[in-house]
Amino acid sequence: MIENKNANMEEIEICTDVLVIGGGFAGTKAASEIAELGYKVLLIEKGPGIGNPKELPGTLLGLSKGEDKALKGLVDKVTSSDHIEVYTQTDLISTTGVPGDFSVRVSKGPDIIEHKVGAIVVATEFSLEALHEKYELNLAANVLTQSQMEEILASEKDRKKILETGPKDVAFLVGFCQEGNPLVMERVMRSVLAISETEGCNAYVCAGDIKVASDSLERMYRDGREKGVVYFKPNEIPKITQDGEVLGIVFDDPIMRRDIKLAPDLLVVEEAISADQMNQKVAELLRIDLGPWGFLQNDNVHLFPVHSNREGIFVVGSSREVQGLPWAWVDVENVALEVKDLLGDGKKTVPKDKAVVDRGKCVICLTCYRCCPHGAIYWDTKAIISPVACQGCGICASECPNNAIQIGGFNDVQIVEEIKRHIESGNGDLRLIVFCCENSGFEAWQMAKAFNMQLPAGLSVIKVPCAGKIDIHYIMTSFVKGADGVLVLACHNGNCKSEKGNTRAELRAGEAQRLLEETGFEKDRLDFVTIASNMGSEFSSVVVNMEERIKELGLNPLRNRS
Amino acid sequence: MSEKNLGSVMVIGGGIAGLTAAWDLSRFGIEVHLVEKTSFLGGHAIQFCCKATDECQQCGACTVEKMLNNVIDEPKIKTHLRTEIEKVHHNGRFTVTVNVGPKYIDQAKCTSCGICLEKCPVEGALQRGYSKNNIPLYAIYEDKCLFVKDKSCTVCQDTCPEGAIVLNTTGSSDELEVDAVILAAGFQPFDAQEKPGYGYGEFNNVITGLDLERLIRENGLGISTPDGKIPQKVAFIQCVGSRDERLGNLWCSQVCCPYALRMSEAIKHKNPDTEIAVFYMDVQNTGNNFPTFYEKVKSDLRLIRIIPSDIYSTEDNKLCLQYMGEDDGLPVKEEFDLVVLSVGIMPGSDNKTLSELLGINLDEDGFFLCLDEINKSLTSKDGIFIAGTSQGPKSITASMAHAGQAACEAMKYLGVNE
Repeated sequence: MIENKNANMEEIEICTDVLVIGGGFAGTKAASEIAELGYKVLLIEKGPGIGNPKELPGTLLGLSKGEDKALKGLVDKVTSSDHIEVYTQTDLISTTGVPGDFSVRVSKGPDIIEHKVGAIVVATEFSLEALHEKYELNLAANVLTQSQMEEILASEKDRKKILETGPKDVAFLVGFCQEGNPLVMERVMRSVLAISETEGCNAYVCAGDIKVASDSLERMYRDGREKGVVYFKPNEIPKITQDGEVLGIVFDDPIMRRDIKLAPDLLVVEEAISADQMNQKVAELLRIDLGPWGFLQNDNVHLFPVHSNREGIFVVGSSREVQGLPWAWVDVENVALEVKDLLGDGKKTVPKDKAVVDRGKCVICLTCYRCCPHGAIYWDTKAIISPVACQGCGICASECPNNAIQIGGFNDVQIVEEIKRHIESGNGDLRLIVFCCENSGFEAWQMAKAFNMQLPAGLSVIKVPCAGKIDIHYIMTSFVKGADGVLVLACHNGNCKSEKGNTRAELRAGEAQRLLEETGFEKDRLDFVTIASNMGSEFSSVVVNMEERIKELGLNPLRNRS
Repeated sequence: MSEKNLGSVMVIGGGIAGLTAAWDLSRFGIEVHLVEKTSFLGGHAIQFCCKATDECQQCGACTVEKMLNNVIDEPKIKTHLRTEIEKVHHNGRFTVTVNVGPKYIDQAKCTSCGICLEKCPVEGALQRGYSKNNIPLYAIYEDKCLFVKDKSCTVCQDTCPEGAIVLNTTGSSDELEVDAVILAAGFQPFDAQEKPGYGYGEFNNVITGLDLERLIRENGLGISTPDGKIPQKVAFIQCVGSRDERLGNLWCSQVCCPYALRMSEAIKHKNPDTEIAVFYMDVQNTGNNFPTFYEKVKSDLRLIRIIPSDIYSTEDNKLCLQYMGEDDGLPVKEEFDLVVLSVGIMPGSDNKTLSELLGINLDEDGFFLCLDEINKSLTSKDGIFIAGTSQGPKSITASMAHAGQAACEAMKYLGVNE
C-alpha cells in the first residue's frame, strides 16, 4: 500500500525555524526545548524581560525558592543560546503563508524585522484581575488583593510589620464573583497556611466551591484546617461592610444553620485568573480561532493538548487554558514533539493529490480560502492548497462553486461510481446509503459489525474524509440511481476535526431535503444524524430505525425506471 | 534505506497513557514494547462512553478509540498482552523478565465472529473487549473458565469455526531488552463495597460511574434500571472514595464531577423527563467552557450540597436516600430509581510491586512519586518515566498530555535529538 502511494508523493523543502510568541515560563521553556531539537528559534516578548515578564508572584506560579533559581537558570540558558534570538519589547505585526513557509513580521520599537519560519508556538500568559469591585469593596490598608497579600507574605519586613504586630484575623473571599479554578484556590490555600503559622494570626476563608481538582490541594485544604484555618461555604455571596477600619462579613452558614458574623482585621479579595487580553489580537494575526472565554483553542478534544485549528501553529500553557508551571511544562514537551514531527529535517514528503485545484476551472472567487478551517489555502493567479497544511477534509472541494477542487482518494467520479456500485450490487431489496465521516460514523459502523449488532441487509456505507465532503450532488445522485433512503452521519457539534464540517453537512442535508420535497419525494427518506466513533449501538439503532421508516414509505419510485 | 538505531522503550500499561506514550515514541522511529497485563489494550478509558448531547462535551472517550487504532496499526509498537513484569535488571540498559499468560485465542485465526461468546456456558468465562480495535476481540477468563478449573468444558474450542481456540495452552516467560521505561500502569477505580452504607453489590439499582459508562457504551444512552424500566429519578453521589478523610484518601479524583455532570446532561438530553439529582461537596471544573456549561447544568439538574451516607431499598425496589434538607435542615427522605456512585481514582493495584521491581518510590497516597515538583514525569531513577494516572488522578486528555511529556523525556534520555 505504501509503495502505491509513493508514486503520488513528492518531497518538498520546508523552513525549520520556529517563532515563539510570549516570553513567560511556557514560552521561554518552549524556546529552550525546541532549540535543543536543533531548530533555530525566534522568541518575542512584549515586555522588557523573559522568564516571568509579568512579574507574577512566585506563589502563583507554584514556585518554591529552589525552583525560582531553576527559572533563572532557564532564562540564562535561553539568553546565551546561539540557537535562540530573543527580542523583548517586541510585537507581532503580521503573518502570512503556510506551515513550513510562514513569513512573520515583528516590530521592536521603530525596527521591523522579517523572518521566515516553519512553525509558530503561541505562549501568551494569563491575566490577573482583582475582583474587589465586584464585591463592592475599595482597596485599603485592611482590604487587599490576593497578590498584595502574597507580597506581604513574601517579604520578611512587611510580614512582621503587618501580621506580627498584634493578633490579626484575616478573612479571604473566593469563588463568589467567578467560577474559579484550582490555581485560584491554591494561592488562597498557600496564603492561609502561611498565616495560620504566624503567631497570633487566624485565617478564615469564605468560599464558593473549593476547587481541589489538582495534585495535593485536598491535602493542603486538610492541613490548613488542622492548623486552625476555618472554611465557610455559604450558599450565597456574604454581605460585606467596609467602614474605615471596621470590616464586617455576614452570611448564613448552611452547616451551623445560623447567621455568622466576622469582623476581620484584614480582608483579602480573590483575583480572577483568565485569558490574556492579547489573545484576540494574536488570533486575528495568526488566523486561528479564539476559543471559549478568550483562550486560544477551540473546545475540541481533537486539538488537545497543543494544536490550534491551523497546522503548524501551536498553543501552549495559559494561552489555551489556565495552567500552573507543571502543566505548562507538559504542554511545552508536547509541543516539542509536534514541532519535531512537523519540521523533521527540513524535508517533507507530501501527497501530490491531497487536494488538487484545477487551474483551468478556478476563478479565484476565494470561497475555498474563506471556508478552509485549517487556513491551508492561499493564492497567486489561482487558489493554491498547501499540502503541508491541508488535512484532506474536502470542505473546500464541496463548497467550490466551480467544482475546481478534487480530493485524493475521494474524488467526485470515484464517489459517484461507488454510489452506483452499491445500489446495483446491494443485498436484499431495500437500498440504504449511509455517508459516513471516517472519524465517527464509519468507525461506529465498524464497531456495530464487529459486535454483531443488528444491521439492515440493504445497508451500504460510503466513507468520506469529513461530513463536510458530502455534496448535495452525492445525496441527490443516490436517489436518482435508486436509493430508497440516505443517511448523513457526522461528528457531534464541537467534535469535528475540521471544526465545522459537520454543520456544513447538516445545512446541505437540509437543502437536499428541500430539493426532494420540490421534486415530489418524501423528505423523510433523508436524515442527518450526529454520532461518535464509539457509538456502535447508536449506529445500529439509527440505521434500523431508518429501515423501518423506509419500509413505511415504500421503495424509491425511480428504482424501476433506472 | 538504513535507519539509525534510536533505541527502544518499554511502556508498562496499555491504557490511554501507555497507548499515547507508545504512539508518540513510534512517530519518531523508536521501537516500543507495550506491556499490558490484561487481555485487552485500552485500560479503563476504552470502557467509557460518548457523553455528547447534540454537542460534544469534550470527555475524550472517542480519542481513546482513535489512539488504540493508531497503536494497532503501528509496526514499531510490539504489543505484549497478558504480560506482567517479573524482574528488572538495570545495567545501562534494562533487561526485563516478563511472564506471559496463556493465549488461548490465536489472533491470526480469530475472525471475531462471536460464536465462542454465544456458546460459552459460564457467564464471564469468555469476554469481549470494549473496542473493535481489541485484537483478538475475545478472551478467556481463567477464574471462571471450566476448562481451566477441571477440564470439564471445551465448548468454545469445539465450536470455533476457525479452530482459533486451543484451551490446552500454557504461559511462557520472556526477556526483553530496552533502553528506557515509561510506567503507565494506571489506576484502580474505588471499590464501592468499601462504603457498605451504599449497598453496592446488594441493591442491583445502585451502580458505579464506571458501570454506567460501560452500560451506555454497550447499549446507548437509553438507560434502564435492572428491571428494564426507564428510570424517572436518578441520583449521582459524588466523592465516593475520594476526598475521604476516614478512608485516608486525601485527594480529589478530578474526573468525577466532569463525568457525572456530562453523563447527567447526556441522559437528560436523551430522556428529558428523567429527573437527576447530584449530591456533591464542591463542584470541580470540566474545562475552559465550564462557566457556561455550569449554568446549563444548574438549570437541568438538581445540585444538592451534601453527601448522603446510606441508601435503603424500599419494598417496591426503589432506593431511598436520607439527607439534611437544604432549606430547613430537617431530614429528607427521597426515593430514586437508580443511584450512581461516582467512584474515584485509586492508586493502581500493582503500584507497590512495580515500585519494588523498578526501584522507584510511591508518594504518601500510593501513587508514583515524581522527582521534580514541576516536571511530573521524572522519577528518582534515570531512564524511568511516569505517565498518566500512575502519578495521580487525571482525565483522559490530561493523561494523554502527560504521556506526551514522558515520551519527550524518554527521547531526550535516549539522545534521539542529537
